[in-house]
Amino acid sequence: MTSAGAATRPGLVRHGLVALTAVGILAAAFELFSEHHWNGAEQLVPWVALAAVAAATVLVLLPGGSGVGATRVLALLVLGASVYGVVDHVLVNYGSGPLDERFADSWDALPLLTRAWYAASKEVGPAPTLAPGVLGQTALLLLLATVGAPRRQRAVAPG
Amino acid sequence: MTRTLPRLTAACGAALLSVGLVACGSSTATSPGTPATAPVQNEIATAPPADDATDGATADEDDPDDSGDGGTETAEADEDKVSANTASEDEIAQALTTAGVSNPARWAEEVVEYRPYPTDDPDLTKLRKNLAKYNPGQETTDKIVSALTP
Repeated sequence: MTSAGAATRPGLVRHGLVALTAVGILAAAFELFSEHHWNGAEQLVPWVALAAVAAATVLVLLPGGSGVGATRVLALLVLGASVYGVVDHVLVNYGSGPLDERFADSWDALPLLTRAWYAASKEVGPAPTLAPGVLGQTALLLLLATVGAPRRQRAVAPG
Repeated sequence: MTRTLPRLTAACGAALLSVGLVACGSSTATSPGTPATAPVQNEIATAPPADDATDGATADEDDPDDSGDGGTETAEADEDKVSANTASEDEIAQALTTAGVSNPARWAEEVVEYRPYPTDDPDLTKLRKNLAKYNPGQETTDKIVSALTP
């Protein structure tokens, strides 16, 4: 009984992590769709990242663990895209400072740290700074799901 | 004394009757006043325009350019506008500069980014909605939109 429980728990956790990954993909897709996030090539980056993490989710479920390696590579790429998204959103907000009527005349005179904080906290600009982080979180969940996944058996040469 | 009571009763009855009649009379007496003022209001409501009052001619008959001036101005204003859908970013930036918008190049970038705009919306509601994310203020938004057509 104890040994059976120990055997099923890792599988349950792994499938739970995969399920949470799927939820993250759907949530991010809904958010991007509701924001009409497709103005220009740069705004298509998260869609590509979503497709990659979706493909990776399918790969991690392949029997025998044959897709684990590819899943990890894709998840790391999506993690990188997520970091890029957060930085890009902060920079977009930073660049929008002079367009805000409250800061139009004073933006350049503000200390750099103050401007950076206003951009990161979305005090100025239209971009939600941590929203791309959802993609990174989803990718991390998927990476965790690959831990302890069944590994493909290597062929052992006879003799 | 026995005759006094019927007389008093009759006098009171007559007094009540006369008060009642006066009361009714006053309510009806004001009624004729209403029609008396009504024709004045009707005259005001249906009074012809001053233009017609003088010579009976309509504004268009008097001066064919009465409405034409506004049309010419509108046409001239439209000539200065550029299309938010088809103009290049530089053309839009130039139009915004002419309209007195600060940071015209940056705003032109935003105008191009949120294409396309519905051609049946001269007020560019979609653009206004997207510009609002930057908190530019009503004056700047109006200036930007005033330089553009769909």
